[in-house]
Amino acid sequence: MEYEFHWNIVFDKLPQLLSGAFVTLHVSVLSMLIGIAIAVLLAIAKMSDSRLISLPATVWVEIARNTPALFQIYMAYFGLGAFGIHLSPYAAVLSALVFVNAGYLTETFRGGFLSIPKTQYSASKSLGMSSIQVYRYIILPQMFRRIYHPMTNQFVWSILMSSLGILVGMNELSGETQRLQSLSFRTLEFFIVAAVMYFLITKFVLFSASLVSQRLFRGDI
Amino acid sequence: MNLKKKISLLVASIMAATVFSAAQADQLDTVIKRGALNCGVVLDFPPMGYFDKDNKPAGFDVDYCNDLASALGVKAKILNLTWGDRIPSLVSGKTDVVVGSTSDTLERAKSVGFSYPYFVFKFQVFSKKGSNINKFDDLKNVKVGAALGTTYETEYLAYAKKKGWGKNNYTSFKSENDAYLGLYQGKVDAIISTNTNIATKLQTKEFKGYVAGPYVPNYDDVVGLIAKRSEVAWINYLNLFLIHQIRDGKMNERYNKHFGSDVPADLIQALRDNK
Repeated sequence: MEYEFHWNIVFDKLPQLLSGAFVTLHVSVLSMLIGIAIAVLLAIAKMSDSRLISLPATVWVEIARNTPALFQIYMAYFGLGAFGIHLSPYAAVLSALVFVNAGYLTETFRGGFLSIPKTQYSASKSLGMSSIQVYRYIILPQMFRRIYHPMTNQFVWSILMSSLGILVGMNELSGETQRLQSLSFRTLEFFIVAAVMYFLITKFVLFSASLVSQRLFRGDI
Repeated sequence: MNLKKKISLLVASIMAATVFSAAQADQLDTVIKRGALNCGVVLDFPPMGYFDKDNKPAGFDVDYCNDLASALGVKAKILNLTWGDRIPSLVSGKTDVVVGSTSDTLERAKSVGFSYPYFVFKFQVFSKKGSNINKFDDLKNVKVGAALGTTYETEYLAYAKKKGWGKNNYTSFKSENDAYLGLYQGKVDAIISTNTNIATKLQTKEFKGYVAGPYVPNYDDVVGLIAKRSEVAWINYLNLFLIHQIRDGKMNERYNKHFGSDVPADLIQALRDNK
């Protein structure tokens, strides 16, 4: 290979890359947490017998799962912009990622809910628990235990997809990488370092998630 | 065969491969033998590069690709690039040359080979009529945007930093078109672009109510063709080609076609001075 790598240029710009990496971490973790909260509600809504409640949830899930994330981020920024609703690049990427995360996780959570025997609902009810108590103390803890690993997959997905923030000029890791490489044209070096950073962010998040899971699900799994 | 023999065979074959590749044709030979010139253009930057109404590549840069190909006696293949794709396309061998309004900074020249300049741009502010941006310092409390990875983005950010304006008023867009779209939608109050692109946009009905504002102070954007840094003979050919474009009147012809006037004498002078 005739290409000479020059790494010192990249190391000089490491602080800027790291600040980009922090934005990536920030937006993906936040989109995941909000996504989980919405997905629980959507999953319960989707299982409802009333079509009035299940239909909106179904529509959300279908759109989120069957259109590209690139398109959703673009719509959140320029699409809403055409109607005079101006989100900042950060808000546009965050809301698009929340939208997709919630859509995908709904199906995962629904699977988790369905895997819990119906008899547990009736048993809890007969002990005098309210619906909220049944979910809070009986159903949700078991559901999260079962879908924990598929859920972390979604986590990885949102870290990697946040790179599409570059589309709307967000200063996350990919955006910073693109900007910095254009100054020196050391494209390959910057992209390789960015890839390593994505890898480390993903590993870090998965490691933190496994620590959390050990605490939450002590005694089983 | 024992291990020693195997190793020496391996070494010998690697050496042979190196010798053969060293004797390989250079870029100029490769292009001529291939019979086609892979020419990268940013087709998002009228009137230098854009898609015409038949969705075919057109523009000043595209014409330069065709002129270069006909000088070489080969066919031109136009590849559409984004600003960020320019270098990877050269390194990966997808393009032989990029005619893509690339600013010839010394920092970049460490990575890529530049020809002589072939055009000089001015960077200019573009905003709605009545936004009262008369000098560059009026951008202080204004939301400004530009395309990601362009020299005017760098220039604006450097200026803003020097003046202590901060980064909060700045939005970068993935492409030139997105920057204009962002301005049109009111996401930003002003964008920075090149005088040539702004002049083109002013002729469209979407931008009737807009006005070209002040130039970025003390900055001429001198741009060259780019090729692999190691292909010195090829760059040599590109340089002579650019000189001939001026000498044979081709540049004037192309300029007339895309800008509607003869090449200004100061532009020709700037190209000769910067050479």
